[in-house]
Amino acid sequence: MNKQFSRRDFLKLAGGAVVTVAGGSLLPQFLRKTLMPEQVVNAAGDYDLFFAGTDGFMWNPGPSMAPYHPDDWVEPPFTNYMFGFRNVTYFEDSVGGLTADEKVQNQKLKAQHNAPFFWLDQYDDTVNPVDFKLQVTNLGLQMRPDLTDPHTLHWHGFRNVIPFFDGEPTGSVAIPTGGLFTYVYRPRDPGTYMYHCHVEDIEHVQMGMTGIVFVRPLQNITNPSLYPSGKFAYNDSDGSTGYDREFPMFLSEVWVKARWNGLHIQEHVWADFKADFSLLNGRVYPDTLLPNSPIDVANSTKSLVIQSDPDTGDLVIPAEPRLQNQPHSALITCEAGERVLLRFANLGFREASMTLAGIKMKVVGRDATPMKGRDGTDTSYETDTLLMGAGESYDTIFTAPAFSGGSGSSGNGYDTYVLYNRRYTQVSNLSDGGSGGQRTEVRVYPTGGLGAQAHFNDAVNYFPL
Amino acid sequence: MLTSKFKWMRLALVLLMGLLAFGPLAHTQPAQALEQPQVGMLCTTGPTFDLTAETGYIMMPDMTTMFMWSYGTPGGGFQHPGPVLCVNQGDTVTVTLTNSLTVPVSIMFPGQENVQANGAPAQPEFSGSTLVSLTNSAAANGGTVTYSFVANRPGTFIYESGTDTKMQVGMGLFGALIVRPNAGADHVYNRADSQFTAAEEYIAILSEIDPYQHQAAEMGVNFNMNNYRARYWMLNGRGFPDSIADNNASWLPGQPYGALALIHPYDAGAHPLPAVERFINVGTEDYPFHPHGQNGLVIGRDGYAVEGPGGQDLSMEKFAVNIGPGQTWDVLFKWYDAEGYNSATKPVPVAVPNLVNVAIGMFYGGSPYLGEMETLPPGMNTLNQCGEYYIISHNHALFQLDAWGSPMAGPITYLRVDPPLPNNCP
Repeated sequence: MNKQFSRRDFLKLAGGAVVTVAGGSLLPQFLRKTLMPEQVVNAAGDYDLFFAGTDGFMWNPGPSMAPYHPDDWVEPPFTNYMFGFRNVTYFEDSVGGLTADEKVQNQKLKAQHNAPFFWLDQYDDTVNPVDFKLQVTNLGLQMRPDLTDPHTLHWHGFRNVIPFFDGEPTGSVAIPTGGLFTYVYRPRDPGTYMYHCHVEDIEHVQMGMTGIVFVRPLQNITNPSLYPSGKFAYNDSDGSTGYDREFPMFLSEVWVKARWNGLHIQEHVWADFKADFSLLNGRVYPDTLLPNSPIDVANSTKSLVIQSDPDTGDLVIPAEPRLQNQPHSALITCEAGERVLLRFANLGFREASMTLAGIKMKVVGRDATPMKGRDGTDTSYETDTLLMGAGESYDTIFTAPAFSGGSGSSGNGYDTYVLYNRRYTQVSNLSDGGSGGQRTEVRVYPTGGLGAQAHFNDAVNYFPL
Repeated sequence: MLTSKFKWMRLALVLLMGLLAFGPLAHTQPAQALEQPQVGMLCTTGPTFDLTAETGYIMMPDMTTMFMWSYGTPGGGFQHPGPVLCVNQGDTVTVTLTNSLTVPVSIMFPGQENVQANGAPAQPEFSGSTLVSLTNSAAANGGTVTYSFVANRPGTFIYESGTDTKMQVGMGLFGALIVRPNAGADHVYNRADSQFTAAEEYIAILSEIDPYQHQAAEMGVNFNMNNYRARYWMLNGRGFPDSIADNNASWLPGQPYGALALIHPYDAGAHPLPAVERFINVGTEDYPFHPHGQNGLVIGRDGYAVEGPGGQDLSMEKFAVNIGPGQTWDVLFKWYDAEGYNSATKPVPVAVPNLVNVAIGMFYGGSPYLGEMETLPPGMNTLNQCGEYYIISHNHALFQLDAWGSPMAGPITYLRVDPPLPNNCP
């Protein structure tokens, strides 16, 4: 944070004049009218998605770790401070109420974790010559008005990016409070990537401005008949990466001391980082098993859109209100014999060792690259444990085993397999027992027991926990 | 959270001096500096080497100094890390170590076979039944030992102390050994597809420092290894922004190796071959290095080409190059101007915001386009020289970018992409 001050010092030394430009908002008033043009009015519809960066609150379970957790400046039911993104693409003007833009501004202090999942079709000059435009605004930090941090959206792993669209603030530009910027992508390489704000990235990543982005292969358009679903992880030419259902497995971490310090305007040493909570899709077990917040299925064509209050734009309050800002389930459901694609991405700072007990996974992609050597040699492999470093992604497909019959191993009509981080220090939720953190379940139903997946990360959950 | 203002002032200093070196004042640099390239891997050539083990100090990114142990060359002054030893496949490599430390010191050559020490097979040393050194050591206060081996396999290797390893390697007794293949110095291995642009060879030696361990060594007191915790992470023995200063930067006398990578865009005719980066991890944790804007093609690990038994190519593209302790990874990379955006014929498909409405990075030239610059708003300056691109590379275990309280000061460097030749770059 406070980058402006440091840059100002830098400019002084470099013989620069008095003004540092981190957005026209820092210009003296008398210069602003002269130098600062009107913001370009956002042309309606000139973007595919519109995200807003801001701060907010999230929930993590006990036990208490005074004074850091739960944070006594955070209103229940929430427990910890965070930064994050909100998907504000589909806001509309309300008759007699807030305009769409007012609803966007109203999302300050209403970030979500993890950031919205979004996806694109592979760009191709002939088959799919479509630019994907992602507009991002910076709403500022409600609880830290002293901070004027810009934000960016860095697509981690995008090949051959030009700095202008990379979201890395030193080699390019960043979005000051109140600013707008549109990133344009022509993704030519399918696979699973991740994204995050790259301003003061140790802090903004740890604070939660992180999510998954993935690129669907051209083969979905050009050769869908290679697998019954017509959906593939990569351009495999043989259907080997075809799948029936897909789920994100997004790994992130919470250091409660850093969250507390962020809210209470205190300092700490990032070198002493500690992962108190390890999250899957923004939640810790057993909340990972709870359903998504209600989904706006009709609009979930480019991103997983969480329903919002039509009057305010706020995320709807789910059955468990403490999870309002952590809307993503990590439950995996499927039918016996189906192929299930898991898109893993790790934006925690620690290695994770994700084990799926009882079902082998086939690794079909790594860092958004299909498992093939330059000469075409197949390098895919089967495993039950993925060792994932910080910033790595993996695409794995498993074939759901046969249903055990009767009511299933759970007694609820499905068989249960556990997916968990074998680094047991990452599954403790600060307490004994090893049953928290990055842990979820694969539930296998008999053939015909679920019906088709209605949208990305749709896990039908028929039974109470 | 708070970035030290001194760090950014220091960055300005580093870069201004770097720019001076690039600019017309370059002839005022000492002759020695001109003989060696400003960027890229600096080789100390053999195959016969004399190394010393000695003490010295390095400059840390938070403006402190750190007491170190390191290998150096006789009369070459203290340097950290040890010299990059370059030999050819099949060479008989001879390394004579003279130990000026007050404790016994040795050198291990992981990946080399049939290493000889003083003419006999190298063996671990015991005190009674206790292993005290993984290989033959040179006695304290002036002892010597001579190692030799035939460098049979091409690739990237580590050399490091085998004595009291957690202490001595932690103190800085490590370096890199490069074995050039028979296929030629512009190949990493004896595979045609391991060829690279000879002028674009880079090394990234990743390490870590526990300041209390180094303080204990400086004071000559015991350090309890149970308390070990790294608080600095280094790239070629430097933190950021020193990491992007030139090789042999005069203000870093004991830290000769820069890490800035300078390349031109891929071009099928003029510039068809990739660059190479040789990653080495001499720390105690995995270091997931993340290059922006270009995936690394991992073609070798630990001195073995990534290939099948029949020579099948098993290389892999990675955007997180996740190097484990003691591993070396050989990575080819290039930057391809995929869209060819330019202001005249192919502008970016979005309105470019006015520069007063964005926060401008210090390396940004004001234009989205390679080779173009724009006038910045009043009061703004840039370190950009000719519209070149600066694309960051850094460790993605992000807490390791913190230098014990100074964020963004750890293993960070940049890929500098210059416009295709001919260009207006200095």
